[in-house]
Parts: sequence; structure tokens; C-alpha cells
Amino acid sequence: MIVKHVKIILMKFNWKIGGEAGFGIMTSGLEIAKVATRSGYHTFDYSEYPSLIRGGHNTYEVVISNDSVSAPKWEIDMLVCLNKDTFELHKDRLHLGSVILYDPEDFQPDSTSILIPIPFKAFKKECNIDQKMVNSIALGASLALLGGELKVFETIIRDEFGKKGEAIVKENVELAKKGYDYILKEHCPLKQILQKKKGERQMVVTGNDAFSLGVIGADCRYYAAYPMTPSSSVLGTLAALQYQTGMVVRHPEDEISVVNSAIGAAFAGARAAVGTSGGGFALMNEALSYAGVAEIGFVLFLAMRSGPATGMPTWTEQGDLLFATFAGHGEFPKIVLAPGDPEEMITLTLKAFDLADIYQTPVILLSDKFLSESHTSLPEDRVLKLLKTHKIDRGKIVAKTKQGSEYLRYKNEPDGISEQLIPGQEGIFYQANSYEHLEDSHTTESGVERIKQVNKRDKKRQTYLKKHFAEPTFYGDPKADTVFISWGSNKGPILEAMKILAEKFKRGFGYVHFTHLYPLDEEKIKDFMNVKYNHRRILIENNSHAQFGSLLRMQTGIDIKEKWLKYDGRPWWPEEIVQRLTNKS
Amino acid sequence: MTFDAYAPTWCPGCGDWGIRIGIKTALEQAGYNPSSVLLSFDIGCSGNMNDFLNGYALHTLHGRAIPTLVGAKMVQHKTKAIVVGGDGGIYGEGGNHFVHACRGNHDMTVIVHDNMVYGLTTGQVAPTAKKGYKSKSTPRGIIENPINPLALAIISGATFVAQGFAGDVRQLVEIMKQAMNHKGFSLVNVLQPCVTFNKVNTYAYYMTKTYKLDVKYDPSDRKKALTKAMEPFEEKFPLGVLYNVKAQTYHEQWPQIEKNMLIENKRFASFSDITKKFV
Ligand SMILES: Cc1ncc(C[n+]2csc(CCOP(=O)(O)OP(=O)(O)O)c2C)c(N)n1
Ligand code: SF4
Repeated sequence: MIVKHVKIILMKFNWKIGGEAGFGIMTSGLEIAKVATRSGYHTFDYSEYPSLIRGGHNTYEVVISNDSVSAPKWEIDMLVCLNKDTFELHKDRLHLGSVILYDPEDFQPDSTSILIPIPFKAFKKECNIDQKMVNSIALGASLALLGGELKVFETIIRDEFGKKGEAIVKENVELAKKGYDYILKEHCPLKQILQKKKGERQMVVTGNDAFSLGVIGADCRYYAAYPMTPSSSVLGTLAALQYQTGMVVRHPEDEISVVNSAIGAAFAGARAAVGTSGGGFALMNEALSYAGVAEIGFVLFLAMRSGPATGMPTWTEQGDLLFATFAGHGEFPKIVLAPGDPEEMITLTLKAFDLADIYQTPVILLSDKFLSESHTSLPEDRVLKLLKTHKIDRGKIVAKTKQGSEYLRYKNEPDGISEQLIPGQEGIFYQANSYEHLEDSHTTESGVERIKQVNKRDKKRQTYLKKHFAEPTFYGDPKADTVFISWGSNKGPILEAMKILAEKFKRGFGYVHFTHLYPLDEEKIKDFMNVKYNHRRILIENNSHAQFGSLLRMQTGIDIKEKWLKYDGRPWWPEEIVQRLTNKS
Repeated sequence: MTFDAYAPTWCPGCGDWGIRIGIKTALEQAGYNPSSVLLSFDIGCSGNMNDFLNGYALHTLHGRAIPTLVGAKMVQHKTKAIVVGGDGGIYGEGGNHFVHACRGNHDMTVIVHDNMVYGLTTGQVAPTAKKGYKSKSTPRGIIENPINPLALAIISGATFVAQGFAGDVRQLVEIMKQAMNHKGFSLVNVLQPCVTFNKVNTYAYYMTKTYKLDVKYDPSDRKKALTKAMEPFEEKFPLGVLYNVKAQTYHEQWPQIEKNMLIENKRFASFSDITKKFV
């Protein structure tokens, strides 16, 4: 597939807030993002926070644009400093036109940018509020400066806190108004960034939210997880929605129980999924192998963070690709998919459940902290359409069989896929056997039968490559002489970088985006890569081992020599890509 | 269609034979057939019953028979669910799952072949063996004290705890029927001589060390049950139902499956009720 869409940048405004963990930074950031989407704009946000509940430094930045936007922006246009650290840690990202909101009682920024002093501390004392509520004053001030409307803010607060009572809504809105009025009185509005305009009704979702929506859309009935950043919010989201959706959402004693219970649920006939990060995934490996031999499909959501071991829990990395690909002992088919943004996350989640059923084998869906926790605006209609038009394909999973009492659960079929009867039909029984087995599911150690079953399972891989494997997508100029190759959440920054590059160099660039990472079809990929682009190819990854590069070479023989790797726990910034290309070009 | 599958391959005289007869007879007498049960076998000589007892079955991983069945049970909670495993798998490798399944009062019968050794891996010590038990892996005797499965189950929240002896199949059948009839988590710990590897805890040993609970014994008293459960530490093994109380099961506390089984529910499709929360 080729998507040509390098557009000219119209407006990208970066609002950022920083303060101590526990200050309620995350809530405030999301509120600004929603003010923007409800005022007709697109957003992308990114937050950084340490693995702490109190103290440490939290930040949240929201890019506001009048066109869709898929990555953060390096330059900060407005910085709300709830403490001095916020200024000190980010001053290198400010420009002359940046606006700094700060409290002179705290510190005086040594900066040539536009200074907007606001007496946060005095307000806090005067209104007798806790630190979290100071954010509302800061948000009100930001709105005034950006030309936004308090009314829009109020709708968000009402949706969020309405259930807790009118008093809380009122307090928040009044505090915002204090900040707003203060700006109007003491300063003047600077920009028309958030001026309300017409736009589609938009959702503001993270990759984890998108996965959750896909899980619901796919009619998954059983979701189990043991909390681990950055996958945890899926558990919270689905658990909160379960009484509405009817899904059973569990938090078992450990990841081993999580994954085995999902296998049991899938055996009993329900679509099942689990979510985790690297450490929990490591504990799930043996069960993955069980699902492989017993031929039980389920979806495993693996949201990566910086490893090894406990690593940097709240930071991003694509360090588990090879681990995921080769996870589980013994040889069995497995499918690894990696969406690049929330919309792709929904599409691929829906597909993952179909594939798990059709191939009766585990499907791993890869995400990372950057994708899992960054919000993007998405038109609600588009999401609804994806969910509503999705037709569920359970492959050869049936509730009634025509086979007789000698049920052949592992019948040798040309496509490698046997009928899987949901337990319950009278007159039939079979086992989901972790031992090698005969077609009728009894244990065997016969060499002949062993080979039959190994080949049968491998045929599923071949069938998948023929029927469901999808080539990478090409974005940009098909005649480009410089082509980026990547996967997963790097998609957003690369696409934003290409917009900047096209402006700068007045020529097109290309991006080959892989989503179906394993197994890869050698012939299809070779055709795709060789025919079209044999110019400068740059592999971009968020790890230190160029893991996708290895996987690509291993499966197709294609070796990408130029590798740009980043592994400091931070995502790629579009500007970083631009700069690197500019320096090397 | 019967429960009889392949002829068992256990050593002649192994207690597993008696346990299998116990399970099979109890199931038959209670009116079940292979299509109306969910079975979950652990890995071990005990778990090898997968090929000797028919049913809709999971032959799981070592230690994981309980959590796998917990998942299946959430989807088909109206189906009778039974775990078969060894003391190594259930109390050792899967000990965490055992405790938590008791806590949850998951509606299943867990039958443990307590032979104090790892049979299938040729006789290493199991967590129920007495301190000092010599085995291939513990040539000078095991240092740790034994797990007490009965007491562990009771304090962890199991609502039915019983002990049987593989040498007394008639009593075993009665215990198993009661266990299968129980709503909630039921444990049947079966003292099982491993004739090949355990030369200490033999049939003769159990003949002298076991005794049947008095007919007047009241299994609803948790404290008394615990006292009884502690007796194996002094090599006295009570046989019968030590503990039996009524309590809400795990699945009964999920409104999603109050009426139907999870697989019987209709597909959720009111997507806009969900998407609007993200606007
Ligand atoms: C993860 C894992 N570790 C080890 C083994 C090897 N193994 C198979 S059975 C077994 C122990 C069996 O002992 P027990 O559970 O008491 O059952 P028994 O054979 O005595 O009935 C072990 C350690 C395995 N299959 N899987
Ligand atoms: S090794 Fe022991 S437990 Fe296993 S079959 Fe033989 S006697 Fe039974």
C-alpha cells in the first residue's frame, strides 16, 4: 500500500506543563488536549514521569495543530512552570517567542522569552486550595493566553467530575476563571491558538485506550492482567467498562496465572487476551509454548519499556521485539504485529483476534510506552466505523461438529488448521494437550506422528503468509531517494519529520512502515523493497541492537546498513531525525 | 462413551490406580459423562491420567492445572470442573495458584496425588515429604519442613477440605462425590503410595498411621478442622471430610455471568457508549 500525504505544516503549537509528581500534571495535560479537540483542533501529547508516586519531575506536553499530528514537537511554545525545575530542565527547548508562566515568588526565569508572572502561591493561599487545584488556575491562564474558551473547559470538567458533585465542578471552573481573568487584567491574550472553530467530534486516546477499544470491538470476553507499566491502564480501562461490556476482566495472582487462565478461557470458547510488559511477558513464556502445541489462540498485548529487568519502568524502548518473536520453547507458529499509532492499534487489535482464532495460535501485539501512553486525537466517527463494520471471523472454531465420537481435534488438514470444537457438545470429548499428540489429541511419542504434527503446525505459518500477512505500507514520495524503514511507534515521529524535511529540502522522502513483523514473507518483502527503492535506506529503531534489522535480514536476507538507533528511554523526536539527516546529507 | 480411555501405564500397585477408579466411579455415580466435565491435568504420573480418563480436558503445564481451569471455568461456569495433579505440581510449582484459588473459592474440585515424591521425574522429594526424607535430590534428607496442604487450604479460604487414601477406594469414592457436589473450592488430598520411589510412605505405613474421622465429627468448625489438619505433622493422618462450609463461589460474584455462561452472552455492540467517554 502506498500513502502519499506529505502536507505542508500549518500550525503546531506546543504547550507544556511541568511540576512535581503528585501535582496532578497528567490530568491537567489531558484537559488542555481536550479543550483543543473540543475547539476543533488536532492534538498529540507526550508525558514524562519517574516511577514514583510523589516527588520527582512530571511533565506533559500537548501539540495543538489544525491538521492531524503524530509526534511531539521539540520547541516549546508555552511552558507552564509549577516549579523552578520545569524551567531549568526545559530552557534549552524555548525560543524567543515562547511564553513562560511562572510564579515570581518561586523563581525568576533567566530568559529572553516572553515572561508571564502569575502569583500561583498567593492564589493558593487566598483560595485555600491544595496544589492540584492550582493547576486549574494555570489552565485558565493558559486558555486566556491562547484565546481559548472557558466554556469548553467547563464541559470537560463536568464530564470528568460531574459524578462527584456540582461543588467540585464549580470549584474547578471558578479557579480556572481566576487564572483567566488575571491574564485579561494583567496581561493581554497573545495568540489565537485555541480560538473555537468547527471540527469533527474527536476522541483523545492513547495506544492503550485504542487497544482497549479494539478488544471490546473484537468481542473479547476474557481479559486478564497483572499490573505493569506501561500496559496497566488497559486493565483499569477494561475493568471499569466490564459491567457495561459484559467482559470478564481479572487481576490474578501473577502473570503465569494470567496467561494460563486466558488459555483456559480460550479453550472453553471465549476470545481471550492478556496484557503485560517485558518482565511479565518473560513469566508467560512457557504458557505461550503450551498455547502453541495445544493450538489455542489468544491475544497477548506486550507494551514495552526500557529493560532489562526492571529497567526504567516509565520510559520507552523497542527492546523486546526479538524476545517476543522467539518467545516460548520449541517450534510453533506465532504472529507478531506492531501498530504505529492508535488508529492502527484498533485495526490490528481487531485483526489480531481474528488471526488468533483462525490460526489457533498466540498473536502478540507490540506496543511501547510512547505509543501506549501518548494521546492522539481521533475522529469518533472513524473509530465507530472501524468497530461497527468489523465482522468477526472465528475460523474453524465451532460450537457443533459433524465429526463422530472419535473427535480429531488435531486433524491433519491441507492448510494446517483443524476444527476446534468449543467444549460442551454431547457425545464428544478431546484434550488440549501440552504433550505431542495424535490427531485425536492423545499423547504420543511416535516419530511418524510427531513429524505429522510439527508439519501441520508449520503449515499454519505458510497459510498465514499466503492469506493474512500484510506487506509494509509506504508513505511519502515513491521516487524519493531517501527512504526510512521502521516499525511501531516510530511511525509518528518519522511522518512528522518527513513534513519538515519536505519543506526544508523541497523534495520528497519515503517511509516503509512494517506492522506485520513476524513471520515475514521473503518474496513479498523482497519485491516490495527491491523494485521500488534501492537508494539510501535508513533503519530507525528505538533500541540498541537494531532488532528489526536483524529480523528482516534473518527472514528475507535484506540487510539495511545504515542504522539509526536510540535507546535513552525517550522516543525519537521528529527534529532529531531532521537534524541527523541534515548533518549527514 | 465412557470415562475409560487408554489402559493406564502406572507401575503395578501404584496408588494412582485407586485414585482413578475413585474419580471415575464418583463421576459416574453423580451422573456425569465425558462431555459434561471440564478436566485439567497437571504434569506428572498423576497428570498422565489425561490419557486414561476421558473428558473435555486440558493437559496443562507443570504446576498450572489450577489457573488454566480457573479461566475455562469463568467461561463455562455451569460445567463441573476437576483438577488432577501431584503434590509437586499443585503445592510446589503451582503453590501460589493453589493458595489463590482457595482464596477465591473457585468452584472446582482439586484432587492431589500426595505421594511425597516427584514420581515422573524418578523420585526426588516433594514439598509434602517429612523433614529428613532422603531422595535423589536430597541425599542427606530434606531440610525444609513439609507443607501442610490441609491446613494451608483451610486458612487460605477453601470451603471443602478432605483427605483420602488410595488404598481405600470405597471411602475415596464417597469423599470425591461429596467434593464434586460441593459448591466452591474443594480439595481432596489423597495419600498415594508411590511403590517405585517412596519406600517410606508405603501402604503398610498408611495402614498404621491413618484413621477415619468419627461419624460425629463436625466439619463446619474451622478451628477444629485446623487442629485435625495439623495431625500429619505427628504422622497421624485423618481420613474423611475435615472441613465443609457454604460460601459464595467466585463466579457467583460476577454480574456478567449471573444468568448465562460467558460464552452464551450476546456480543456487546453499543460502541458509542464507550467511545463517548474518550471525547
Ligand atoms: C516447568 C517444568 N519443570 C519441571 C518439569 C519436569 N517434571 C515433570 S513432572 C514433575 C514432578 C512430578 O511430581 P508431582 O507433581 O508430585 O507428580 P507425580 O509424578 O508424583 O504424580 C516434574 C518436576 C516440567 N514438566 N515442567
Ligand atoms: S513412579 Fe510412583 S507415582 Fe509414578 S506410576 Fe510409578 S508408583 Fe506411581
